[in-house]
Order: sequence, then structure tokens, then C-alpha cells
Amino acid sequence: MHMPPGRRSLIAIPAHNEAATIRDVVGRVRANLPDCDLLVVNDGSSDGTAAMLVDSGALVAEHICNLGYSRAIQTAVLYAARAGYDRLITLDADGQHDPEQVRALIAEFDREQLDVLIGSRYVVSRTYAGVPFGRRIGMQLFSRLVAVTAGRRIYDTTSGLKVIGRRAFEPLTQWHFIDFHAEALVYLMRLGFRVGEFPVTVVERRHGRSMYSTISLFKYPLKTLLMLLLGVIQADLTRRRAS
Amino acid sequence: MTALGVLAGALMGCVLLIWVINLIRHGRLYVGYGVIFVFGTLLAIAVLLVPRLLDAVTSASVALVPVPSLSIGAIVIMLFLLVYVFTQITILSNRIMHLTQELAIRGAQRQSRTQPETGEPR
Repeated sequence: MHMPPGRRSLIAIPAHNEAATIRDVVGRVRANLPDCDLLVVNDGSSDGTAAMLVDSGALVAEHICNLGYSRAIQTAVLYAARAGYDRLITLDADGQHDPEQVRALIAEFDREQLDVLIGSRYVVSRTYAGVPFGRRIGMQLFSRLVAVTAGRRIYDTTSGLKVIGRRAFEPLTQWHFIDFHAEALVYLMRLGFRVGEFPVTVVERRHGRSMYSTISLFKYPLKTLLMLLLGVIQADLTRRRAS
Repeated sequence: MTALGVLAGALMGCVLLIWVINLIRHGRLYVGYGVIFVFGTLLAIAVLLVPRLLDAVTSASVALVPVPSLSIGAIVIMLFLLVYVFTQITILSNRIMHLTQELAIRGAQRQSRTQPETGEPR
């Protein structure tokens, strides 16, 4: 394995019932990023995802039951922290993210010396054209809420493509999040971590189902709003205690 | 409802709100349960504080379920008990979650020791 001198990177792919795509995603990651280690967090899949990962060359962290997206990411963060990685790159298992774009993301992350860099679908256009109405309203609302509460607007708060630096590992395992979206970004930014966005393109999901059901369209904004506000309080308390 | 009743209700709502928020903050109440209590309590406080809304809700509830006002006390006690039960469920669920994560991490660590060259397929 070819590691760049000094800095080690771990690619983490949380997967829940992604048997149709996971093998292809793992193959593309390994072909494009041979110098990064690869961890798939199989989050209690029941569709044969685990079987697709056998002999794929990826490390597999197997959740014996489904814990949800944020806990799968947290497992990856914990693994990265314990194994001494310098960066954690998260990708979706449905094949929406192109691993070829990760190199540019890592370069930007290092150049700007950020703690979190988001692969953003909307930072260039700054509109949410093509996004269904309900989701568009939610994205605009949370993007503006991040600006109000953290002092900097993030246009794509729900992107699953992120580069997370070592410094941010600890706070991400000590506080609880809904989906590592707006509430996590606000928490980190209020703690003084540097968060940025970098333009990427994504392809539409062709297999499987989105993790958001119809009922979550109502529950998700309320839960995220509550955790965002609690994150502000918690981050301020943590900073006060530290000083 | 008398002014004292409204004040007592609002005060109880605030106590419940602070308790629930503190439980969520410390990870002892799952936010999915907590969000129902928080927004439900906020709605109840809003009803108490807006006289016209309170009158409408009171007349509707009296027409549908004509029970003595003392039953409100029972509902409040049940609400507090419900939060307690959900807290216990969350604590148990957190333990299972930590166990699941730890098992997954140890499995991956074991695999990385036997397969050090993760860049090469086995």
C-alpha cells in the first residue's frame, strides 16, 4: 500500500442494504485511491451487503443491528481515532459520489488547513434547483440557520461526502448527532473548528432506497432543529469550561 | 381556567421542558422521543397563554370528555412517568449501541491485523 509520507487517510463508507452498489463503490474507491485505507461500516444490512464485502479488499466494521447513519459514521470516527489516522473521508454507499473527486477535496482540505471539508453540490450555484420542493425548503432553512448560529453559511449541509481532520475526531464522538448534518456542523463551528465547502458533482441514486422515509420528512427537521439549538448550548458550555 | 391555574400549568410545562432538554443534552433521552415532549409541551404552554385558544380547547374537551379537572393532575403525572420510562429505554439502547460499535471496531481491527495490505485484494 502506498501511503503519502506523514498523513494517513481512511475512507469510510457507511452502508445499510446497499448490496446492489457496494461492491462497485469499493472497487472504484480502491482503483482511484490506492494510497488510502478503506473501511465499510455495514450497519445491520439484511440484503446480503455483508456477503458482497467478502474478499473485496475493504476492512469491514459489522454492526450486528442497525444503528442509523450517524452512529455508523461515529463508528468510523472512533476507528480512525484509535488507529491514528489523520483524515477521515466519508462517502455514500449508493454510488452517488465519484471517488475521483476525493483527491481534489483532500488537496483543498490540506491547502486551507480545515477541520471539516464538505463536498458540496450547491456552493457554486447557490440555488437548490432540481431539488424537490419539501427538501429545498428544508435545505434553505438549515443553510440559513447554520449562518445565523455559526456565523458562516454552508450551502450543502446534508452532503455525505466529507473530509474530517484528526482534530475534529474527539468532539464528534463525544456529542450525539442526528445525521452529521447541520447540527454537527454548527456544533463544530461553535467550538472553533474550521469548516469549508468544495464543489463536487453527484449522480442520482439508481439502486436501493433513500434513508429518508415520508414520516422522516416531518421528524427530521424538528429533530435537527432541536439538536442544532442544543449543540449551540453544549458547544458554548464546553468552550466556557475549557477557558 | 383561573389565572393561578394557567400560571401553575405554564410552570409545570417549563419544569418538564427543562428536564427533557437536560436529559437530551446528556444523551439520556433519545432526541426522537425528546422532540415529541419538547414541541408538545411548547404547544401546551402556548395554548395556556393564549386565552382564546385556551377557551376553544377547554370547551372542546369538556364537550367531548366531561371529566373532573382533577384528572389533569393524573395526566401530568403520567407524562412525567412517560419521560422516565423513555429515559430508561434510551439508557438501555445506548448500552446496546456502544456494545455494537465496540464489537464492530474490534472486528475491523482484527481484520486489519490479518490483512495489513488493505490496498490489495485478498
